Formats: sequence, structure tokens, C-alpha cells
Amino acid sequence: MDPAGVFATSFERDQALVRTRGQWVALLLLLIAMIALPHVLGPRLVAISTNMLIMAVVVIGLQINMGYAGQINLGQAAFMGVGAYATGALAIKFNLPFWLSIPLGGCAAALFGFIFGLSAVRIKGFYLALTTIAAQTLFHFLILNLPQSWFGGSNGLTLQPAQIFGFSFVSDTSIYYLCLAVTAAMVFGAYGIVRSRHGRAFVAVNDDDVASGLMGINVVRTKATAFLIGAFYAGIGGALWAYYVRFVAVDQFTLFHSIWFIAMVIVGGLGSITGALIGVFVIKAIQESFVTLGPSIVAQFPGLGGDVVFALMNVFLGGIIAAFLIFEPRGLMHRWNIMKRSYRLWPFPY
Amino acid sequence: MIDFINYLINGALVGLLYALIAMGFVVIYRASKVFNFAQGELVVFGGFIVWWMVASLGLPLWVGLPLAFVAAAIFGLLVERVFFSRLAGESVFAMVMVTIGLLILIRGLILVLFGPQVRSFPIIFPLQPVIIGDILIPRSLLVGGVITVIVGFGLSWFFNRTRAGLRMTAVAEDHQVALSMGISVKRSIAFAWVLGAVLSTLGAIIFLSGKSLNFLASDIGLAALPVALLAGFEAIAGVLLAGLIVGIIQGLVTAYLDPIVGGAIGTVFPFIIMLVILFIRPTGMFGWKTIERV
Repeated sequence: MDPAGVFATSFERDQALVRTRGQWVALLLLLIAMIALPHVLGPRLVAISTNMLIMAVVVIGLQINMGYAGQINLGQAAFMGVGAYATGALAIKFNLPFWLSIPLGGCAAALFGFIFGLSAVRIKGFYLALTTIAAQTLFHFLILNLPQSWFGGSNGLTLQPAQIFGFSFVSDTSIYYLCLAVTAAMVFGAYGIVRSRHGRAFVAVNDDDVASGLMGINVVRTKATAFLIGAFYAGIGGALWAYYVRFVAVDQFTLFHSIWFIAMVIVGGLGSITGALIGVFVIKAIQESFVTLGPSIVAQFPGLGGDVVFALMNVFLGGIIAAFLIFEPRGLMHRWNIMKRSYRLWPFPY
Repeated sequence: MIDFINYLINGALVGLLYALIAMGFVVIYRASKVFNFAQGELVVFGGFIVWWMVASLGLPLWVGLPLAFVAAAIFGLLVERVFFSRLAGESVFAMVMVTIGLLILIRGLILVLFGPQVRSFPIIFPLQPVIIGDILIPRSLLVGGVITVIVGFGLSWFFNRTRAGLRMTAVAEDHQVALSMGISVKRSIAFAWVLGAVLSTLGAIIFLSGKSLNFLASDIGLAALPVALLAGFEAIAGVLLAGLIVGIIQGLVTAYLDPIVGGAIGTVFPFIIMLVILFIRPTGMFGWKTIERV
């Protein structure tokens, strides 16, 4: 809801993402903060931020697929892995520059996701979630059993740093800027997708696929497209991951990573790109504080050993998914919107 | 030839074990319309309860096992009280997502309570195999197979022939309709989780007897998925047949294809079967034909 006195006088104005001067200022401040971040914060926080940026791309893909088009996807980590492996293999075998291998990694993941998305043609609901679990297992099997010379098998892939015009992205700061640029582009693209004809089709299909079919939306194609886009985002995220860590191994992309991504979407709020970003930030921040507080937790419960941090993190993650579904099923973004609305309407109730 | 028969029989018995685990899925589905992704974790939790009672506390088997079943039932009830009783009437999507949360939550609980170490599970069934001619059959699987068949037909009778079972079947068809007929959805879901937890413990005893136990054993839950899907989520006795089919196929594939491909195809093959079923006949062999297709 817009603040008082803001009226859209044309369709472009009505569809605009940034609607008021205040929002322009906020956006600029955010961008400046993001750009200044590596010069202000320490190396560990920069590394966490880079991680968040990469996850943001992946989770936005999941948000489009799950939050907008309503298809449960438990294989997002596998799609991310396909992107990472494809990028790695292309960069190593064919010496492709990163500005070519990253999009191609995304395309490879999109293709892989599309194969599983095709099953959405015939089934829906949690039956679809089963095929994405199968995607997860098949991904592991294929990587470990295809010839070692293709994807490195159980040894993983080791990449050279991304290079352009003789400059190589080795330092944490430079890779942070690379991820920031790509993520910014992907976020902007996601906002574009969800308010386009396709995005509205996703929402319509999610609400009622029979009704949307009657209105002339090609339901099957819409669902497959959602899967394609979601997997493409996962692949781009995986490609960035490959250049960031410069080592790709199969255990970086397990079912549990997929569940982390789902937790981020649920906590942030289904059906909102901003919600996905908030979810990534909140969950990742809590995860990292667990890791940071780990030693003191271990000191508190010496009998439990060092693995207790990992265990508590699992308890916390499972608890937070359940708690949000029970108490706040529409996520933090929904709560924020309610607060903003009541602030703008104050002192009137509605 | 004798090898072939060996693979066949062992595959069939492993398949029946899968069927027992899959029955946990089916029972929870059949009484609450919730697909429980945390099945494997329930099995491991049941296994750890048995380990704790029998190996850690040192209770004799005839005290420890019943106590373990009671503890599992209480745990199932607790899960329902804490999570699902609040979600009655909410969308099935939310409930299924909660089971995904449970999958991680229970795994974390296991790690906090019992630690990540590998424990040796008590030997419930004698270790020496049954030998008929040249055929070797693990005793735990043989006894387990018999138990599975009995439990399968018993539950099938309960859900299809008794009043209480039919009430739960109504809940599985539609929560709102069941509520308007005066059936307590909450009680049905509670019963589903108690039964699911107890069945999982039984599965854990047969699966783990004399083996090592740690939290990674939960993979059996995912391995049992294709069986439940092949049978159809509503068919309890059908799970037995589906288990036999998947088990035999997996046994033969492991024996004859693994050397060619270079390992592990046996573990993935059920998932390939699952994908094929999902494409061809998503309701499974005996499921109700109510899946909405696009």
C-alpha cells in the first residue's frame, strides 16, 4: 500500500518498483552500504556476506518456483550442484571465461531442472516433491559414477579463479563484488519476472489451476517454465559458488541444503522476492551466530562433545520451520506489510 | 542358478523390510492425509530408544522391547500434540512442510540425546543364518518378513473392515467432510502418529538387529519411498506386493548390473522406478484414483 498522496497516473507508474522519493533514497543507501561493506567489515563478515549473496540467488529461484508457482521443490540444492559442476567442468576443460561459463552453468541446471519439472505436467502437490527428492539422489549418483575425467567423481573439481582482462578474482573483496553484481542483476530480473505476464500466470496457476486454465493460461507450460526459471537461478548461484570456493564437491549439495533453502523461503514469506532476501539474511545470520557461539555452547555442555553445535542447529532449523508454519505461515514479510500498513493508516484502523 | 535364487530370496526379504518401513508412511497417510517425510528419522529414533533400553540400561529383552514400543508411542503422541494438533484444518501443504521440518528436528534431537557415535545395536534375532540346501537366509530378515506380512494383513483388515479404521479412512479422504460427519480429525491424526512411531520402532528392530546404529541409518526412510509410491499411498496390503517387487528388482540389479556400471546403481534404481511410476501411474498399483492431474 502506498503512502498518502501517491497516485499512479499511468500504467508504468502503477507497475514501478520504486514508487516514492523515500524509496529511492533507501535503495541508494542500501546500494552504497553494499558497495562499502568489504571496506568496513572484517574478512569473516565479508565471507558471510558473499555466502548470503550466493544463497540469495538460489533462494529467489526457489521462491519463484515454490512461492509464486506453488510447486514444492526439495531438489534446489541438486540444481545448484548441477550449475556448479557444469561451470567447473566448462572452465577447466574448455577454458571458458567466467562471463560465459556462469550463464552456461545456469542453463545446464535449467535443463536438468526442466527434466524433473516435466513431471509437473502429470502430477502436483507433494507427489512432485517426491520427484525432486529423486533428482537429489540421481544427482549424487551421476556425479559419483560418471567417469572421473568428466566431473572429478568423488574427488570434486578444483577451479582456477575467474579472470577478465588479466585481472583475476582471487581476493575475498573482488569475489564479493562479482557476486554482488550478478546477484543485483538476478534480483532485478526476478522482480521483472514476477510482475510480468509470466509472474501473474504463476500466481494464477498457484491459486487455482483449473480456473487459470479456463482463462487461457497454458497451465502445463507455466509450471514447466517456473521450474526452468527456478533451476536457472539455482544454477547461477551454483556457478558463483564454484568461483567463490573454487572447489566443487558433491557433499556441498545435499537434501539438507535444499531444506535450508526451503526454511529461508518459509521464514521470509512465500510469494515475495523481498521476503526471500530477508529469509536468507535472517537464517544465515542465525546459522553463523550458532557457529560463532559454538565453542561457548560446547563449554556449557562438555559431555555432549563438539558435534552438539551441528545438532542444536538442526533442532533449531526444524523448530523454526514448524514454528513459522504454525504461527506465522506467511512469513516475516507479511508481518512487515501489516505493520507498515497500520503505520501509514494511523490513527485510523483502516 | 543357485546364486540367482539366493539373490531372489534375499531381495524379496529386503523388499519386505522396505514394505514394513513404507507401512509407516501409509498408515500415517491413511489416517491423516499427511505425507510424512520424517519416516526415516522415526525409524532411527525408534532404534535409539531400543538401544537405550536394552544396551544402555541393560534391561532384558522382554522388558526392554515393550517399554521401547510404549516410549515410541508416547513420542508419536507428543509429535502430534506439539505440531499437528495446532494444524488441524490448515492446508495439507503446511502439514507436509512441517514433516520436513520434523525430519531435521528429530535428527538434531537424536544427535543431542544420543550423540553422533556409531552404536552397536543389540542382537534381537540370532545371527547365524537359516540354511536350506545352498540357500543362505539372514534370520532377522526371515522373521521380519513373517512379522511384516502378519502386520500388513492385520492393519489392512483394521483400516478396511473395522469402524475405527474406516473413520480414519474418512479423514484421509477429506478433513472437512470427516469433521462434518462428526469424526475427530485430531484423534485420528494422533492415532496415526502413535501407530507410525510404533511401526517404525518395529522396523528398526528388524532392520538394525545385530548391526551398527547411528543417525545415518535414516536413509532407509527414503529407500522405502518408492515402495509406498508403487503400492499407492492408501493401500496397506498392497505395500507387501510392492515391497516384494522393488526388493527383488533391487536385489537382481545390485547383483548383475553393479559390476557393469561400477557400483551403487542398486541404491538408485528404486528411485528410477519411482520416477517411472510417477510418470506412468502416479496413483500406484492400488491407490485411490483421486490424484488431481493437471
